[in-house]
Amino acid sequence: MSDDRVSPIEALPVASRAYGTIDRHSDHPRWGMAVDLERCVGCWSCAVICKSENAVPLGMWWNRILTVGASLDAPATDVHGRHDLHWVPLACQHCDNAPCQKVCPTSATWINDEGLVLVNQDDCIGCRYCMAACPYGVRVFNWGDSEFPVPEGTGMVATRPVGSVEKCTMCVHRLAEDQIPSCVWSCPAQARVFGDLNAPESRLVEMLESRNAEVLLEEKGTHPKVSYLQPRRRRPIQVTATDVSS
Amino acid sequence: MITTTPTKHRSTAWTIWIVLLAAGLLAGFGCFVYQWSQGLGVTGLSNTITWGLYIVAFMFLIGISAGGLIVVAGAELADSHRFAHVNRLAVVCSVAAVATAAGTILPDLGRPQRAWKMLAQPHVTSPLVWDMVVLATYLVIGIVDLWILTRTPVPAKPLRIMAIVSLPVAIIVHSVTAWIFGLLVARPFWNTPLLAPLFISSALVSGTALVVCTAFVTERVTEYRVGDEVYAGLRRLLVWFVAADMFLLFTEVMTTFVSGGPDHRTQLDILLTGRLSPVFWSEITFGALVPFALLLSRSKRRATVAVAGTLLILGVAAKRINILFAAEFNPLIGLAPGIPGGRPGQEFRPDEIYLPSWVEIGVLIGITSFFLSIVTLGVQRAVLPHARHGRDTMTVSH
Repeated sequence: MSDDRVSPIEALPVASRAYGTIDRHSDHPRWGMAVDLERCVGCWSCAVICKSENAVPLGMWWNRILTVGASLDAPATDVHGRHDLHWVPLACQHCDNAPCQKVCPTSATWINDEGLVLVNQDDCIGCRYCMAACPYGVRVFNWGDSEFPVPEGTGMVATRPVGSVEKCTMCVHRLAEDQIPSCVWSCPAQARVFGDLNAPESRLVEMLESRNAEVLLEEKGTHPKVSYLQPRRRRPIQVTATDVSS
Repeated sequence: MITTTPTKHRSTAWTIWIVLLAAGLLAGFGCFVYQWSQGLGVTGLSNTITWGLYIVAFMFLIGISAGGLIVVAGAELADSHRFAHVNRLAVVCSVAAVATAAGTILPDLGRPQRAWKMLAQPHVTSPLVWDMVVLATYLVIGIVDLWILTRTPVPAKPLRIMAIVSLPVAIIVHSVTAWIFGLLVARPFWNTPLLAPLFISSALVSGTALVVCTAFVTERVTEYRVGDEVYAGLRRLLVWFVAADMFLLFTEVMTTFVSGGPDHRTQLDILLTGRLSPVFWSEITFGALVPFALLLSRSKRRATVAVAGTLLILGVAAKRINILFAAEFNPLIGLAPGIPGGRPGQEFRPDEIYLPSWVEIGVLIGITSFFLSIVTLGVQRAVLPHARHGRDTMTVSH
């Protein structure tokens, strides 16, 4: 690693840095996110920047955009048979009661003081128990050397070794520099709101309280810190367990 | 030590058997090393089907370990000497199964070189850590049991103490193995309180069936003989075990079919009518009903019991396949495009399939050879030396 590389965060113009700065937060933040389903246009910008920010190799995604409906070719339709396109951006939900963290045999998956569910790649033995335990299916495994490996220094974090499990970190390396996660600042529709769930005055908490906020698979008792804001004018987006495709 | 020397015409067969086992071990180890060097990408696994053949083998091996301790501990606690002729053989099967099961976890790890971290920094809330502890305990109990049983005369008191200790441990082993799967909220098909009882009943079936089959084969290839009363006793045990196993499976399927939640029901439908239905209905027919009929039939021939035992073992193996994959095929969030495959060429695989690769088959051959090697060694060193006049006898000092 060359030390003369400039962090893109530092290289950003002051205005951009200010734009990407974390909202007001408490002394003991509990980071969370809201995804506004009314604003999401399904463009995959957040998924792509996540890959470059975190050096996620080809074939793997930490963050992806699901299309509501039977399949990509057959999105949902409304009562009049018209396309009723909706998307559900899906990444690690950073659960307070994280099933993946409970089952990890080596404590490689851990929860930091700010509530983020992280993976310590040094301790990961690659048993993939966390992947079986995650109700959201957001963890990906390093199955082998990538056919098109990410060149050294592409992302802002180190690449992960073969045989370990990885997932969204809520850009914990950016938070350390007081910058919001990349999926948040890069969203052209500003559908993502990042903030401190412990700070009542933050925009995140305000939106969660004023809008119809839901979490995915609430019945599983995982208490995610990522919430989804339902569209206000249309029928609520149904994210139910399993699509019955036979 | 070895009092029973193979006769001349057997020694050729013996040599072939040893060569086969060695070849299997070598092939398996070779495949394991290859997989280790390349990463788990050489298996048929993906980010959706994260566990496959190895975990099926793991579940199955832990199940078949039940026989030995049941035959020894159960009989001891019931003050029955009916199974005295097979108890060494049964414990050999148990030890072999537990040791192999523990080893089967290694090829399933992405980084086997870091497996020691499970010992160095175990996370107490992980059922995998619980299983590691109880499996180690179970293995030690099996080895101590075997040591006690190969003393002459067999000391009565230690045998009884071991029986009292090993029965609850056996129940815990199968429950904890079930909880590895059954405690996951993400997998409705596993997340049923009935999973631990089901694992225990399946373990009783396959464990007892394994004792029958091993005894039958050992009789064919050595001068070791098991009495008819042992077969009759094991047959009767199997009838009850199969009945209990089928009953538990029936209540589970019935409850889910009639009143299960949609996600649970979707996964059950994979078995009843979906892509696993051939395996499921073969499991019911040839893995339970047919052997059950054979066990109840008038034929008292040993071969009948052995055939029924073989079918039951295959049935339980099919059951492990069904349990594992029914929960993996349908992720809870099934929206398109699904879970990333993880490798180029399979960007997303919403409609997941899994077929074990040749590497996995190779490792499985190694696992099987490892198991059979321990059984062979155990029979040769612990069973045959104690078989007088062709029968395994046991003198218990009182």
